[in-house]
Amino acid sequence: MAVSTIDNKIEKKPIQMKPGLIAWFLLIGLLLLIGLISAFRVFSQGLVLTNMSDTVPWGLWITIDLSSIALGAGAFTLSAIVYLMGLKRFQPIIRLAIYVGFIGYTAALLTLVMDIGRPDRFWHPWVYWNVHSVLWEITWCITIYLTIMIFEVLPVITELKFFDRWPWTRTAAHKLHSIAPLLALLGLLISLLHQSSLGATYGIVKARAIWFKPSMPIMFILSAIAVGPALTMTVAFLSEWITGKRRIPHDILFTIAQYSGFALLVYGYLRFWDTMATTYYGRTPSVMQALSLLRETTPYNFSFWVLEIILGVLVPAILFLMPRFRRRPVLLVIGTGLAVMGIIVNRWNTTVSGLTVPLSYSPGVLYQAPTGSYFPNLTEWGIALGVIGYVLFMLTIGMLFLPLFPKEEKH
Amino acid sequence: MSEKLNGQESPPKKKKTTRVEVDVTRRDVLTLAGIAAGSAVASVALTSGPLSPFAGLQREQLTAGEESAGHGATGKHHWGMVIDLDRCIGCEYCLRACSATNDVATDKPWNIVVPEETSTGVPFYFSRPCMHCQVAPCVEVCPVQATYVREDGVVIMDYDRCIGCRYCEVACPYDARKFNWETNTEHNPYIPTWGIAEIPRRPRGVAEKCTFCVHRIDQGLANGLVPGVNPEATPACVNICPVGARTFGDLKDPNSKVTQMISKNPTIVLREELGTRPSVYYIPPKEGL
Ligand code: SF4
Ligand code: SF4
Repeated sequence: MAVSTIDNKIEKKPIQMKPGLIAWFLLIGLLLLIGLISAFRVFSQGLVLTNMSDTVPWGLWITIDLSSIALGAGAFTLSAIVYLMGLKRFQPIIRLAIYVGFIGYTAALLTLVMDIGRPDRFWHPWVYWNVHSVLWEITWCITIYLTIMIFEVLPVITELKFFDRWPWTRTAAHKLHSIAPLLALLGLLISLLHQSSLGATYGIVKARAIWFKPSMPIMFILSAIAVGPALTMTVAFLSEWITGKRRIPHDILFTIAQYSGFALLVYGYLRFWDTMATTYYGRTPSVMQALSLLRETTPYNFSFWVLEIILGVLVPAILFLMPRFRRRPVLLVIGTGLAVMGIIVNRWNTTVSGLTVPLSYSPGVLYQAPTGSYFPNLTEWGIALGVIGYVLFMLTIGMLFLPLFPKEEKH
Repeated sequence: MSEKLNGQESPPKKKKTTRVEVDVTRRDVLTLAGIAAGSAVASVALTSGPLSPFAGLQREQLTAGEESAGHGATGKHHWGMVIDLDRCIGCEYCLRACSATNDVATDKPWNIVVPEETSTGVPFYFSRPCMHCQVAPCVEVCPVQATYVREDGVVIMDYDRCIGCRYCEVACPYDARKFNWETNTEHNPYIPTWGIAEIPRRPRGVAEKCTFCVHRIDQGLANGLVPGVNPEATPACVNICPVGARTFGDLKDPNSKVTQMISKNPTIVLREELGTRPSVYYIPPKEGL
């Protein structure tokens, strides 16, 4: 009860704008403005404004899609822990996890709409089905999962004072809330599916040797369920530092970090074997050619070993697991930052590396399709900044206005 | 069945000293029976039924080696092409006629012609339209079925349905697809020297590729012409080739020129190991590849 009153105060406080908050909103506004201008230009002039080409038709935006969906995986992982494994101890973080997931998925959809050539036809996958296409399956899963998340977030929103006027919204929301475990279970299935099939998007492309392997879906789902919860944990710490209120018990956050550490190790181990099996033990000429080409023409070697593996997997795993580090929030937040960077670099490497390596289909020995080269230009970065602005905006208003945190602590 | 089981299990319950079995309830038994029945149904369905993951594989790919033209085409015809690499002189007429007829942007030709070399160093020219794969990766990946294999084996685009995700472009093993990054407003330098535009330009934001001049095939058949024989019903690249390096026709017709050429000459298809079953066959140079 006491905590509840504090919560109410928090809801009112931010209305007195402090200079820091104003500056923060100005920054977000600037990012959103850049994003909107870029989006307007792309909608009116087309994808010709980007650096993507027929050799590298996917680039930064796909990387953002893949990364933000992977980073939204905290929602379904933590829901599974609470509702499926019955570890009720983690209940207090569920709302935050779902909210962060919701932001990740909507950010991905925003970017996706920018990325397709005909945004006006975004609804086609719902009407025209090609059940054989992983991309079709992904579109459906994401749509369904986003709907589920909206249902999960709605009860939170109706708790706002604003809805006092319409009590029926609360009753409805309450009914919704009672089926939360069911929603969580459904969401779990759906998100397992599409988190994996995002990897399959690459793994099934038999034309490109460097992608074509069954480990792709596994790597995508594993890295997502390792880093997603860590991101939720970090958002919890950040909100605590900014608002100065401890609202999610620290032992929960520490346990999540530990879990993420283990999951990262599992991911790293499988990644190790994936690399060994394809390059050292079972090397095929096409894969080896592709890798040496990447080493010569792109910073793939550095970004793979240093950014993806050492900084993106090993260092965070150490920070999350070593007894001397794992109870220090600052280090956990830094670890999450590194792991998030690892995910983004991984999705980038997956996308761009496969497209850089030219197809070889000619029967002779002389002709090679052109080697792809790609680096995003200002328009593409502009959209990226806009998406970042959107994410920050949603996080901020979530923390200021939404009752994302438990009112009473049972511990 | 469950009662019987329960009956069998209840006697030990009475001997209180042993307590072998205590808490198998009727509900447990029913659940287990349900799981067993479900597994049985699933096993049957997965191994033999139409849902079997291998049923499609058998049908589509295992037959590829047996038939000369592996008919993914279900209709009366299967349009295909034979390209004689020995005859091609690299003049790029096919590229130009194609670009004029289909009003293609000059920097994204549907047909490419490039100098090549055999492994023994003998030069030759290699040209490549769309392969019109019968198991086409581009068709398999498209989320909205904007591209599909017609009954006559031709792989075409539905420009009104394409959402421009470019997955087909990424998945095509032959680099045959191009994307409309912008509205094509350029002056087409090949018109009218090499032909006139017979189809409209594609809008911005959709993928496109060689169509085997499907508009000619359809119109020709409607007028009683034979594609591959009558020029009006034959792809522009085939008609224009000054040395007759390209032949077009019905792979299902044993008397068509293409079928005859395939049976009389050694032929290859590109990247056969991928199982895409192209409708375009190549006659390699005499010196071998
Ligand atoms: S060559 Fe490429 S575009 Fe043509 S049918 Fe095959 S996969 Fe599709
Ligand atoms: S770009 Fe168009 S045709 Fe190609 S996969 Fe996407 S929707 Fe299908």
